[in-house]
Amino acid sequence: MSAAPPILETHQLTGGYGKVQVLRGISIAVGEGERVGLFGPNGHGKTTLLKTISGLMRPWGGSIRFRGQAIERSSPGVIVGLGLIHVPQGNTLFPELTVQETLELGAFTPRVRANKAQNLERAFALFPRLAERRRQLCKTLSGGERQMVSISVGLMCEPRLLILDEPTLGLAPKVKDELCEAIGVISGGGVSLLLVEQDIEFLLALTDRLFMVDHGEVTREVRSETGLDHAQIMDLYFGVEARQ
Amino acid sequence: MSGWESVLTSGIVLGSLYALMASGLTLVWSTLGIFNFMHGVLMTVGAYLAWQFAVDRGFGLGLGLGIVLAVVCLVALGCLVEILLIRPFYGRKDLVQVTVMTTLAGLTFLENSTLLIWGPRLKQLPPVVEGQFRLLGLTMSNQEALIVLLSPLILLALWVFLRFTRVGNAIRAVGQNRESAQLMGLNVQALFMTTFALATVLAGLAGVLLGSIRFITPTLGSDPLTKALIVSIFGGLGSVGGSIGAAYVVGMLEATSVFAFGLYWTPSILFVVMIVVLIFRPNGLFGRQS
Repeated sequence: MSAAPPILETHQLTGGYGKVQVLRGISIAVGEGERVGLFGPNGHGKTTLLKTISGLMRPWGGSIRFRGQAIERSSPGVIVGLGLIHVPQGNTLFPELTVQETLELGAFTPRVRANKAQNLERAFALFPRLAERRRQLCKTLSGGERQMVSISVGLMCEPRLLILDEPTLGLAPKVKDELCEAIGVISGGGVSLLLVEQDIEFLLALTDRLFMVDHGEVTREVRSETGLDHAQIMDLYFGVEARQ
Repeated sequence: MSGWESVLTSGIVLGSLYALMASGLTLVWSTLGIFNFMHGVLMTVGAYLAWQFAVDRGFGLGLGLGIVLAVVCLVALGCLVEILLIRPFYGRKDLVQVTVMTTLAGLTFLENSTLLIWGPRLKQLPPVVEGQFRLLGLTMSNQEALIVLLSPLILLALWVFLRFTRVGNAIRAVGQNRESAQLMGLNVQALFMTTFALATVLAGLAGVLLGSIRFITPTLGSDPLTKALIVSIFGGLGSVGGSIGAAYVVGMLEATSVFAFGLYWTPSILFVVMIVVLIFRPNGLFGRQS
């Protein structure tokens, strides 16, 4: 557990789709300014956990606290207003909106409306390529550029905690490096980070602490500074410790 | 005046009305993702409301104030319909099928309500402008000319709203990706209600315009609803711009067909043309390949 007071804390969180239970009592905490990663096999509840935290799905049971406030019954709009920003997987965005229109919509909530111009400049400074493409429709962008727009939309909401769901999915190594640097800059500015990622190098480069999610439960908690390397993570993935 | 000239004028007038109708229908389809069978009857109600407020046999407030008050009532009615008949079913996988039933029920309810309230006697709104004029060999009543001019102006205002305002952009965004819109803090329910109210006003205004050149009856809107359906499929479902283009094509086609083949064959001919177009362009006349 981090020494800083947690900005986000889930306690015994359960949830799922229809009758299918996906989350089986997940308790995690992210400290103020901390960078936490989630990893584990596909289809074991990572995305479901994020959707439940951001209010897209109602939890079945358990609690979620953000900056000390209970949010498990709040709507996504309220949660965004508090500064918990979830950038979803697959950077689907709005195909028929331009880059600039999309980013300006990011400043829709009253809390950040006044700072729209300033935040737009900040996003363009972080991703200069988006400034060049500001009049283009999102559907004409490359996958990497779309991911940049997604993250920038998050920045327009002035996140206190930024949740990223597999930002490097399907991207070229060069673009991954670019994103890694940008996310580092964002978290360096004091934004707490909750990152789901399959690319282990990317995950280790950006986080201080990792939770392994397996069958809807947290099965392992590891600190990056204990020198966990790629091989050990792969062992965890493929269940080598089960043989011990 | 030869027959073809009247075909042209009547085609343009019909096209203008269909454009107003179809734009609202398409806006609801592309944003809420439902097909609104009440669109036609909301048009009828718009015409009756304007009549009630405007004429001496009603409240006698005059046409201008009558239309303004009708629009206010239409906004309220649109919000009410959305809350009662559509909102309870968001998030369901069978949203489209369920709302087909609820909006059909609403259609029957409102159609019979207008009959109960206003009776079976034919009504007509007074024209805003009297007389007729000639231009380039075409003769048109001033009232028809007003419709032809007003309808594109209303649609232009709609386009400016959707393209350049904060709420307009939010409405387009919600239609394209609801989950991302929610994660940006957009209030999806409020935006859906706004969209539905806006579409109701568009339908009602079409009713007000039509109510001055035709008689107002409880089924005034049923034929325009069918035409708006043809228009929005023709134009490539979900594209407001495509629908507006298609509206004028269908209006012209209808006028031509009425002149050449008569009133009875026209509905069949419209549907045959629609089917043929969809065989060769499955995404509609102006639809893009997806």
